Amino acid sequence: MRGRCAIVGLGITEQGVGLGLEGRELRARAVDLALADAGLPREAIDGYIRAHVEREDLRYMGLSPNFSVSMMTGGATPVFTVIAAQALIESGQAELVACVYGEAQSASAITGKPDIGSYGYGYPTLYGLLGAAATHAFHARRHMHLYGTTSEHLGAVAVTQRNYAVKRPGTLGFGKSLTLAEHQASPMIADPFRRFDCTRNTDGGIAVLVASAERARSLRKKPVYVLGAGTGHNIANWHSGEVFEHHDNIAPAKARAFAQAGMTLADIDMAQLYDPFTISPLMQLEAFGFIKAGQGGPFYAEGGARPDGAMPTNTGGGQLSAYYTTGFTGIAEAVLQLRGEAGEGQLKKAATSLVSGHGMNAGVQNTWAHACMILGNNP
Amino acid sequence: MDKQAQLEKRNALLAAIRKVGGDPADLPFWEGCEAGVFLLHRCAKCERHYWPASRCVEHGDEAMHWVEASGRGRVYTYTVLHHAYTPATRDKVPFAIAVVQLEEGPFYHSTVLECAVDTVAVDLPVEAVMMPHESGLTLPLFRPGRVRPGRVRPGRVRPGA
Ligand SMILES: [Zn+2]
Repeated sequence: MRGRCAIVGLGITEQGVGLGLEGRELRARAVDLALADAGLPREAIDGYIRAHVEREDLRYMGLSPNFSVSMMTGGATPVFTVIAAQALIESGQAELVACVYGEAQSASAITGKPDIGSYGYGYPTLYGLLGAAATHAFHARRHMHLYGTTSEHLGAVAVTQRNYAVKRPGTLGFGKSLTLAEHQASPMIADPFRRFDCTRNTDGGIAVLVASAERARSLRKKPVYVLGAGTGHNIANWHSGEVFEHHDNIAPAKARAFAQAGMTLADIDMAQLYDPFTISPLMQLEAFGFIKAGQGGPFYAEGGARPDGAMPTNTGGGQLSAYYTTGFTGIAEAVLQLRGEAGEGQLKKAATSLVSGHGMNAGVQNTWAHACMILGNNP
Repeated sequence: MDKQAQLEKRNALLAAIRKVGGDPADLPFWEGCEAGVFLLHRCAKCERHYWPASRCVEHGDEAMHWVEASGRGRVYTYTVLHHAYTPATRDKVPFAIAVVQLEEGPFYHSTVLECAVDTVAVDLPVEAVMMPHESGLTLPLFRPGRVRPGRVRPGRVRPGA
């Protein structure tokens, strides 16, 4: 599988709160930007995958692909769309697949209506359990209990990511520094999460275009190759009673992705890990094996995830400090870094990136789905 | 109770389950709560216990049945909600939601009574108390309780897993 397909175009719209644009318009602009980035005409898109449900986009955008499919597995969807795009290209169904996201999330709010669709089991809502913060807090509290992780450790994640965003134009955190003291003074939301441990919903669109490696080499932008990918579902850990020790079911996803890539952790230059809350990148760094179980807190506190650290992580500010595109944030950042287009935040060593997605809030634990991929600028 | 009354009671409970987005497959559990007993779904072949109603990971639907459980366990993890996501919880915050690991293995998410929010802690032994709820269901809540020595496993692996 390694290097058979590549990301050849990236479109990132304006990102922010209350942009006043509907999701469809954000998606349309993201696709236009991605086409311009790739130097390709509209008709080149012969496959369309929308992260989340799609009925109207093609007519509105003036696209004429052979298919349009929706994918929905929460914040793991963006990585899944790239995996699916590869499969569709490899099976001869398309030559250029657009993977598209665009939502005006900041206008929506949690309704509080128990919904078996989004909260896998309705009953915990009867006790007042609602929202992704509370269900991720279960994992954070367990991590604190087992390893002595502290609120200051979580704060170190927030500050590390904000320091990346401060230097990145177009992010919500641009020019707005955050100190550990400010993190500690921010109000408690769902213990142990304070305000600055949580992402906020933002509006924005992102599109990536996927083509075969051969096609990619004839296009204008430096190809960003998909070197390997894998998936894992946390239901396995639910069955074994260990779900609260596992932020995601990373073991099978990691094994497949690294086997496809023929790589080891030592070959990874940076990590873009799905981050709805500060605990998330911390636990994923442990689960992937970059650090030992329980070492995530000290690792962040000692600067391990900074640009000069052992594993620069969420290098554009991540979803916590840049913008929340439900998993596309990390893909976009990896593409920018691997092309050498990250501006002042460009890492010196940027040939490979691990990217993860995590989603489908479960109502009983954090979420179920995980997908990861390894992107690189050499096939 | 005559047959007609039983049927009506059962239908009312089913309607309450559907209204809150619950699973009708869990009806026996909620009937148990009304009768004051804490039931779990158990596979007779391997003795694994489940909640909510499940198929056994090893034996599917071959030998699943509801059995009376201890109603005891310990707090495995918890959160304290300070932010009111809905008007309904505005007067409630801050309140704790605990994930109780039952003695038999499964997790049950609930509220801990008789316990200030800052005293809820991982490993706190708890026991179920049945309380009527506005939804029409009777809900198991938990209160700090005594645990028979040796009954709560310190490990995190469920029996047979
Ligand atoms: Zn069994």
